[in-house]
Amino acid sequence: MSMGSSWRAFAFTAISLATAGGAENGGQWLGVQFPSDSPVLFVSFNMGPSTVRPRGVSMALDLHASLMLRNVGNKPISGLTLRVEAEDLKASGKGSVIMPSLNVQPGEVFPVRIDMELLRPFNVPKSDSALVQVSLDCALFTDLTAYGPDKLHSRRALLVFELEAKRDRRYLAKLLEDDRLPQLREELNFGLQDLNPQQLGLELLRAPSPDSRGERPLAVSPVSFRSSPVQPLRGAAQVAGNEVRGPRVEVQNISRKAVRSIGMGWIVRDERGREFVAGSVPSALNLAPVATASMVEPGTLRFSRPTGQPMMIGGLMAFVNDVEFADGKLWIPSRADIEEATSDPVLRRELASSPEQQRLTEIYRKKGMSGLSEELRRFAPGSN
Amino acid sequence: MIERASHPSIETLALHSAGDMPLFSGWRTRYHVAHCAECEREVQLFRSATAELKREASAETLTGFEAIADWPSLEREMVGNIGVGVDAARCIEGVGSRRPVVVRFALAAALLVLFAAGWVTHIPSEQTQHLIATLRSFTGFERPVPMGTVLRSTPEGIAVRTQGATLTILHPRSAVVSLSGSSAVAARYVDEDTGQVTIANVYGQ
Repeated sequence: MSMGSSWRAFAFTAISLATAGGAENGGQWLGVQFPSDSPVLFVSFNMGPSTVRPRGVSMALDLHASLMLRNVGNKPISGLTLRVEAEDLKASGKGSVIMPSLNVQPGEVFPVRIDMELLRPFNVPKSDSALVQVSLDCALFTDLTAYGPDKLHSRRALLVFELEAKRDRRYLAKLLEDDRLPQLREELNFGLQDLNPQQLGLELLRAPSPDSRGERPLAVSPVSFRSSPVQPLRGAAQVAGNEVRGPRVEVQNISRKAVRSIGMGWIVRDERGREFVAGSVPSALNLAPVATASMVEPGTLRFSRPTGQPMMIGGLMAFVNDVEFADGKLWIPSRADIEEATSDPVLRRELASSPEQQRLTEIYRKKGMSGLSEELRRFAPGSN
Repeated sequence: MIERASHPSIETLALHSAGDMPLFSGWRTRYHVAHCAECEREVQLFRSATAELKREASAETLTGFEAIADWPSLEREMVGNIGVGVDAARCIEGVGSRRPVVVRFALAAALLVLFAAGWVTHIPSEQTQHLIATLRSFTGFERPVPMGTVLRSTPEGIAVRTQGATLTILHPRSAVVSLSGSSAVAARYVDEDTGQVTIANVYGQ
């Protein structure tokens, strides 16, 4: 592609950007699509400080959109997932923005922010559709029913977040009611920002790694929750430096109900003995009562510190984060389960760190105990 | 009649006599000299003195040229001087130079040992192996291992890349990044503006 045509492409995009502010659908580069029967409809959007500029032989679209959505259904919405797809990457990857812990009443308007960057070469031909498409993937209502195509399996994630949110609100409200303020303050990190969950950097690589130099086997230690219907038994992984390759865990269904899927949580211990919850991976696994099975994660995970420095793997632990039964019901660990699972207060704090706990901690930090109390009342049963 | 106080300075007249004045002030001085007999005389004196100096200078140059006309004797003298200089340099070459070389070598060796000891005690062996592998790959002793990155988190966002195009879902630096699926990475944060907890997810294929 010649330099002239590159500049023509850039100029075209820049003109699209300049006119986007007045366009109904964001012009040529942002499209917002909701089905006509959707309980959530798009009201307006604000592009904020979005920019487009050339970067080398590519165009860099820096998008900061704030969408205003309205709950046009007749049920309160407790969670929402918007799918974000780039035209050039549809086959390779996509993004989503999940908003758990909502309490949007019918008719109410609420904002959703989408901050993203798209880098696309100038020589890639452009079709008529928008460069970035935003659409509804799933909306979860307070009665735990859902709407949406659920292409990203976000209904399950929203359900887990909602159950965790109800658990944590109930727990904190009980502490408040019993006037156990010191314990409540400790749960909310004493309002200190520095006590937020520990951060790490992640890189997911195509599996398996053909380079086995320096690779060593590492036993995966199970962390059990007392009331969990599925227990982790043992596990192993190959570890090389800051990489974990193909971790596997053997699990057993100790309940009387058939299981459809399991969310396996992973804890990584670094070379200094500090533990990080690396996340939870849901996997479909049909497990009859008393049956055992192996859960294998293909691929290689590379860990680093937020600064980018490699984080050497010293240990690996696995826990069952959530279980979905064949009848569609979900199990998550209770606060008592988390308390009993470990004597390490830092790890306990990490295990109990849900999105709702993070939100309520921020409210406490900014508005104090009265703000937290008001927020808990807003979500209390029968308050709406 | 022009008053003396308004005459150009002697230096100005000297410059004017040699034609070294700038355009505007040169024109002004020339105008003055044309109407002032005293300054005109000064200028004439400068010009005659300059001419005399030039004559003397050319005469001295001629004398100097005649003095060095005997090239063979001058060449012998110069070669002799160079030879003395080279011999003197050879004589002092070994004096006091061996000791600094030995000291420098010992210092470099000590620093090398200190660096190696520091590396062994402070740098994990995995990083050493990684560095060696990188150097081997860089120098061509080893082919780089093809390891395609599906997803990568940075302090600013989570990125998925293919065929030169990259999609990055951005998040604040305070976000907690975690694994959210077999090929999905999430960043969780509380939006400063809305106070709403938000989870940005990126999925690789």
